[in-house]
Amino acid sequence: MNESRRKPGYKTREEVDFVIVGSGAAGGVLAKELSANGFSVVVLEQGPYRTAADFKHDEMEIMFQNELMDHPGWSDPQTFRQSESDTATAPQGGPPPALYARGVGGSSVHFTANYWRFHQSDFKERSLLGPMEGTGFADWPISYAELEPYYTKVEWECGVSGQPGPFEAPRSKPYPLPPLPVKSSGVLFEQGARAVGLHPQPAPMAILSKPYKGRPACVHCGFCMGFGCEMNAKSSTLASMIPLAEATGRCEIRPLSTVYKIRTNDAGRVTEVAYLDASGREQAQKAKAVILSANGAETPRLLLMSASGRFPDGLANSSGVVGKYLMGNGHSVTQAAFEQPLNEFKSVQVTRIVHDFYEHDPARGFYGGGGLDARPFLDSTPIMFALAGLPPGAPRWGADFKKMLRHYFTRKMSVLGSTTSVPLARNNITLDPTLKDAKGRPAIRMTYMDHEDDLAMATFLQDRAVEILKAAGAAEIWRDPVEGGTVHAHLLGTCRMGDDPETSVVDRYHRSHDIANLFICDGSSFVSSGRGQPTMTIQALAFRAADHITRFARAGEI
Amino acid sequence: MTKPMSSRRKFLQSGGSILGASWIAINIPLILSASQKAEENRQAGAAFKNITAREALEFSALVDQIIPADEAPGATEVGVVYFIDAAVGGFMSGALPMLRQGLEDIRSKVTSTHPQVGDLSELSFDQQREVFSSIEGTPFFETLLFLTMCGMFGLPEYGGNRDHDGWKFLGFNHQHAWQPPFGHYDAAVHGAASGIESENE
Repeated sequence: MNESRRKPGYKTREEVDFVIVGSGAAGGVLAKELSANGFSVVVLEQGPYRTAADFKHDEMEIMFQNELMDHPGWSDPQTFRQSESDTATAPQGGPPPALYARGVGGSSVHFTANYWRFHQSDFKERSLLGPMEGTGFADWPISYAELEPYYTKVEWECGVSGQPGPFEAPRSKPYPLPPLPVKSSGVLFEQGARAVGLHPQPAPMAILSKPYKGRPACVHCGFCMGFGCEMNAKSSTLASMIPLAEATGRCEIRPLSTVYKIRTNDAGRVTEVAYLDASGREQAQKAKAVILSANGAETPRLLLMSASGRFPDGLANSSGVVGKYLMGNGHSVTQAAFEQPLNEFKSVQVTRIVHDFYEHDPARGFYGGGGLDARPFLDSTPIMFALAGLPPGAPRWGADFKKMLRHYFTRKMSVLGSTTSVPLARNNITLDPTLKDAKGRPAIRMTYMDHEDDLAMATFLQDRAVEILKAAGAAEIWRDPVEGGTVHAHLLGTCRMGDDPETSVVDRYHRSHDIANLFICDGSSFVSSGRGQPTMTIQALAFRAADHITRFARAGEI
Repeated sequence: MTKPMSSRRKFLQSGGSILGASWIAINIPLILSASQKAEENRQAGAAFKNITAREALEFSALVDQIIPADEAPGATEVGVVYFIDAAVGGFMSGALPMLRQGLEDIRSKVTSTHPQVGDLSELSFDQQREVFSSIEGTPFFETLLFLTMCGMFGLPEYGGNRDHDGWKFLGFNHQHAWQPPFGHYDAAVHGAASGIESENE
């Protein structure tokens, strides 16, 4: 733990300017921006305050004990079902349906750090393509041009390494850092993609390729996806934003603080945020305004849990769409083995991507777009590889199994396809009607089944991945089945942004339509899903929201 | 034969159904203390803490069927039985009754085909293989496989992967920093004179 942190020591009964719920990709940015702009800020984070020194290369802990994901104080289960006509059940073990990290820095601590900007089309596909019956397909109330300065801000303030690609939208500034060194998977993917007429490019990654802003460059240790970075080279908000927020002397991070209710007064304004502290005691922090940045599952949960006589359907939910239109991004995985060692256990996950299929193409016969990337995926650590990395039909014990483990571990790579998700009201986060956590908070219930176009797009990308890997000279190629997602790390769309209070939860400035001093900014604000890498856009939204919230606060309009 | 596990996501989910409640009972400090004890025991050549010597022999025979010794060490030699001893005393304690039932079932199989012996470990390696092949795909098998992979390839602090022998065998070299070139196919890009070969062969 960092002893030099400056704690303002705000009292819970004294009103601070802002309480921010969540310290992740969005909350970390808002905490830094608002405290730097002179406001008093309390950040409530349910996880512990780990720092780089606390992160270890321990696959047992990270992959099999959910060390960074589980609630630190008590069991907080979730339930899942594919259809609203099913009864949701809690998966026994393995990752939870809504997969996110708990701890200061949130999921930006354990993310893979793919930092794709959205394209112009992502914000206005409904206008470009026309309606999709029975879906929530809609334009954003903001444009790429409006968000562009904030994408640039993310790249320069958080630290993103990359090189502009042939398909990306206009940018006002180059990347602050050159791409990370290419890995064997990137070289093979690039060769294969070029051979079939595609346009591969270096992957934009929120990982430092060179020392930047007092943080060291990546040392290519390989413990990246799912792990916390012991070097602070991964640009989590823990490494990039939180230290700056605390340095203002106006931002207090309260770890191990689990929110259970946002309280409102008779005037319909938010007054305080009730939470359980590290010892399980009930606390409530008063604030002039509250910002929810708890992620696309926890944010709607909290709004629904905060129902009151005045707001019987939950806060900010006069539209009834809180929790609805959950989008998780579809995926397909194609695995391959080569003759010579790639040693993909070294360095970051992704060094090359293909965006040739990013835009919708009516010739495909279904809606969608996506991207491809080359990575070790789950083979980057040895236990995961040993349990599930061999080709279908391989023996699972004995002398041949052993030989195959040795042969394949260093010679494998995967191509991951990431797609759009059609926004559907039937895909949602609700409160489980029966299951509660140990403190009586209703469990997150996820209902999710990908739209058929999402699955078609994932399959289309897998077909392209096979072509690329063949052209790259793979000795063997096999496909993971494309099927409906049951675990989602991208939690998007559940408090969607819009101009119309009847069909959206927040306005274009992230202010809830119903409650003037309640703001919501995280993946839940998304109107469309993008093509699979949402964190860059979550952070751009957060920088932009901070500007507008500052403006409102200074004008006395909160 | 069970269907091969072709989807990782499926695997991740099945992890839970295989291991059941033991997963939920996970307790980090307990694991750490249990694994530390296992390491101390192993170094001291001490007796097992959570399983009997007879059970240890049976586990040894079973895990050596999963990873037999060849030119590289087998599972027992890498310390997998010590790992199991630590695991069932800590984060996998919920699986111990099922594992013991599995050992009982194995014993019944052995005595039904070889009435003169009681334990799997008394059979020849080939005879053991025959018995082992009958349990593939059972929850007992899946749990043994999981424990064996963790004991082979987890951090040595957990009691297995002795002297990093599991990692050396795979070609996984655990060091905290790497420089390009990383593998054979990026060597030329990074200006290396010759290709990077795997470190395990």
